[in-house]
Amino acid sequence: MGVRDVLKERILLFDGGTGTLLQKAGLAPGELPEVWNVTHPEVLYGIHRAYLEAGCDVILANTFGANGLKYHPGAEYGLETVVSAAMENARRAVREAGRGYVALDIGPTGRLLKPMGDLEFERAVSLYQEVVKAGVRGGADLILIETMGDLHELKAAVLAAKENSDLPVFATVIFDAGGKLLTGGTPEAVVAMLEGLGVDALGINCGLGPEQMRPLAERLVRCASVPVIVTPNAGLPRSEGKRTVYDVGPEEFAASMQEILDLGVSAVGGCCGTTPEHIRLLAKRCAGKKAPQIAPKEETVVCSYASAVTIGRDPVIIGERINPTGKARVKQALRSRDMEYILREGITQQENGAAILDVNVGLPEIDEPSVMEETVRELQAVTELPLQIDTSDYKAMERALRIYNGKALINSVNGKQEVMDAVFPLVRHYGGVVVALTLDENGIPPTAEGRLAIARRICAEAARYGIGKKDILIDALCMTVSSEPEGALVTLETVRRVRKELGVKTILGVSNISFGLPAREQINAAFFVMALQSGLNAAIVNPNSAAMMRAYYSYRALAALDGHCADYIRALGAGVTGVGAGGAGAGTGKTAALPADATGAAGEEASVSQLAASVEHGLKDQARRAASQLLEKGMEGLAVINDCLVPALSRVGEGFETGRIFLPQLLMSADAAREAFEVIREAMARTGTAAGKKEKIVLATVRGDIHDIGKNIVRVLLENYGYEVIDLGKDVDPQRIVKETADGRIRLVGLSALMTTTVPAMEETIRLLRKEAPWARVMVGGAVLTPEYAAQIGADAYCRDAMASVRYAQEILG
Amino acid sequence: METPQKEIYRYLGMKEEAADEKTRFLVADCLRELQEAAKPRSFYRVYPLEILPDGVLDLTCMRMRSRDLGKNLAGCEAAVLFAATLGAGVDRLLLRYGRLAVSRAAVLQAASAAMIEAYCDGCNERLREEARAKGFFLRPRFSPGYGDFALACQRDLCRALEAEKTVGITLTEGGMMAPSKSVTAVIGAGRAPASGEEEGCGTCEKRDSCAFARREKAFFGRGAADSGKSAADSGKSGGNDGSKGCVKGADPSV
Repeated sequence: MGVRDVLKERILLFDGGTGTLLQKAGLAPGELPEVWNVTHPEVLYGIHRAYLEAGCDVILANTFGANGLKYHPGAEYGLETVVSAAMENARRAVREAGRGYVALDIGPTGRLLKPMGDLEFERAVSLYQEVVKAGVRGGADLILIETMGDLHELKAAVLAAKENSDLPVFATVIFDAGGKLLTGGTPEAVVAMLEGLGVDALGINCGLGPEQMRPLAERLVRCASVPVIVTPNAGLPRSEGKRTVYDVGPEEFAASMQEILDLGVSAVGGCCGTTPEHIRLLAKRCAGKKAPQIAPKEETVVCSYASAVTIGRDPVIIGERINPTGKARVKQALRSRDMEYILREGITQQENGAAILDVNVGLPEIDEPSVMEETVRELQAVTELPLQIDTSDYKAMERALRIYNGKALINSVNGKQEVMDAVFPLVRHYGGVVVALTLDENGIPPTAEGRLAIARRICAEAARYGIGKKDILIDALCMTVSSEPEGALVTLETVRRVRKELGVKTILGVSNISFGLPAREQINAAFFVMALQSGLNAAIVNPNSAAMMRAYYSYRALAALDGHCADYIRALGAGVTGVGAGGAGAGTGKTAALPADATGAAGEEASVSQLAASVEHGLKDQARRAASQLLEKGMEGLAVINDCLVPALSRVGEGFETGRIFLPQLLMSADAAREAFEVIREAMARTGTAAGKKEKIVLATVRGDIHDIGKNIVRVLLENYGYEVIDLGKDVDPQRIVKETADGRIRLVGLSALMTTTVPAMEETIRLLRKEAPWARVMVGGAVLTPEYAAQIGADAYCRDAMASVRYAQEILG
Repeated sequence: METPQKEIYRYLGMKEEAADEKTRFLVADCLRELQEAAKPRSFYRVYPLEILPDGVLDLTCMRMRSRDLGKNLAGCEAAVLFAATLGAGVDRLLLRYGRLAVSRAAVLQAASAAMIEAYCDGCNERLREEARAKGFFLRPRFSPGYGDFALACQRDLCRALEAEKTVGITLTEGGMMAPSKSVTAVIGAGRAPASGEEEGCGTCEKRDSCAFARREKAFFGRGAADSGKSAADSGKSGGNDGSKGCVKGADPSV
């Protein structure tokens, strides 16, 4: 009988802690425990036997910390050596005890993934892959991924396990007492992602004692459709000198675990501080206990690295703005890989009430898979909203789904066989909720009946892949009402019947309805409310449209979905700028009003001075409005820049250099100017005018350095002064900096380093630049540098602050 | 835990009194957002300390050679190894605003540097009281990167504290701490109070070259060379770049 079968019949019992027992046997602090698999096999065998004698079903091979980072080819013991020794010790115990299963135990790599750390997602996958392969060779019965504190790393581990073995995969995470992972994930998000990836069981281990774990176990049981595992520590750790001690004894532990078992948990065991005696008493409590009945949960859930969004009775807004269709500025941003613009579009929609962001980067002339991957990567670094991967390019879809940090919404599949054949395997492999359009080879049926038939077929085909109804959102398709008078009614009827007859949730792109009509927002909003009333669960709309969001909040208040009308009041109440103010302000919209004399805005002259004042005062919203007004009055974009923004920025810069103003003011002005520039760029993109930028400058934070705020500040200032910055980011390899500089014949390179330990990388970069791009000047800055140090490593200039780098650029490039 | 405003402005390279209304609003607003995002955690373990004749400091879990740490630990028979972090949420904020609003990013950087410093001070104060009750006097905390205490020791410190598991601090390949607003330190414990410099940058040999050393007058005097210094990329606070509240000052220049 396999472990999967045991889980169906009775409680599955895991073993307890190993670390404390190894320390008792003499493992020194700081010594790598997996080395003992080779040097002290008897000790490991003894521990495994003791746990099996205590009555547990599953023993964990001593492979928790085994990965290629610690056991690299240059180390005393290689990965294969410690893993195969671990497996043999465990297998021998099972062999001689005549019972039990061996789990390949997989823990975190010890490094944080990008962007907060420096480990690439695919590198993490390949590190785990090595362990999985070695474990499979060593005869593992199952794979237990445990103590994971980051959803992204957890995903890497599960993918590696699933892609390199057919073994049952169990995954447990470590929460703090508040129910958050180290990087912020909640139990609901963990369940959504892990079930999407198809694990056999999931749960929680380490970090907490049974008492603190109980409420979290309850949350897991409530939302999980697979068996839940709970393996706590023997209480909360406490330092006693150099030892960590745990205070919950075997009796107390077993008693607390009884309460956890009563919640409907399917597997239990112990983590740090638990001993064979803890497990022996727990085994008594489990004896004869039948496996709990697990009801499949029907909630439709997507999640980001941090939070889960449930798509159900309470409808959600999916922001549609990251999509080049009909948007010149988005097209331009995607072509030039201007990620900042895309990120701002994302954050603005978030601030205006979107719960999920649609991401569509489909342009004929770009490499969609790589742009899609980059966009998803960048967006998920700055927003905690789940993303909707919107593409018909399956390569792009797969790459986005693979690196996506959570469980994504996928847009879309439809009734065409070839499309289902391509999309469903991806949904099954990576998890996700998929949008299903009610069209097929014969087009869009004119009747609700026809669309319903397609929806049924799609659901049936999905079921063949093990994709349940809860992971499908039917799109009833919205036709233009001006050309199809019955179109709206057919759509609404389809929505109603899909909900009622199929029990599947629905989604609509609402804005289509109004094509060709005046006052489009008006009819969009009215149709939106009708659709919501028909049972629509998710709407792809423009959250920056006040009309749509007012309709949304009104509906929720009237449908008793907004307790005390709290959201309605917050969004539409007095004193608030109002939904749809379109603030790209990233939380900074609430600035003080300008002096009265500057807000009049009568003639062009007044507007010029108003824009200048907004920039000098660092007021983003005003700067944006003033710039729009100037353009509306017919002033040329370039004139706005040269007659207004540049002089204002110069005054601010001089003020900073003379000590009249300070860094925060300088930067608030820079941010305000950036808003104005953005308005101008948008206008120029519409008319197809060239932006007329100055020379290019390459900027990078050097290899090994993962902090880049200083570099970002320099970038914004240089851009405000008209330079085009090629921002290579952080932790950048010298070769890449050199290549960009040489290929583009760039004349100025800016390098940043924060730590003494990364200055050698800066020195190496300069040396290579001298060789491969001898024409380039190099300016450097950053926490650890001084003018002397800069000279010593061969830089042309040391810039003590961002203004100094602007001045140097002016000196060199003009 | 109260994050001292004065320190935030110090990291921003200015005096609190010099801040205009907008700057004050920005600082207050960033601090509010930071407090929501920060999840301070700390952990410590006590190890016996032996200073070997050749100057090597033996903590049983790690051995190192450092003249400055040696000075700091003189007369101690044990040492507290200490780690603290504000968590990954703060880095998320810094990432977001580093791309979208640099004024906010710079202020958050300064505020989080001040916050981790204040948090460590609070933790250390409690440790000091506990130690006092047991008849020990604690020395000021001393972090890798201070003086000649090698940053490379970060790895041993984190291993001894199992920092990844206990507080969630990881190290990058190059030895930087992630989350970035993290601190590790050694705190000496002796039977007698320390002599000489008790606090601040006393024993750090970088104090003369450090823009953030606690030399109130010189710094706030805003000498020409210091005027543009900001804490933009700094504030690793005895953590990532070593220096103490001194925090090597991150000017934002490139």
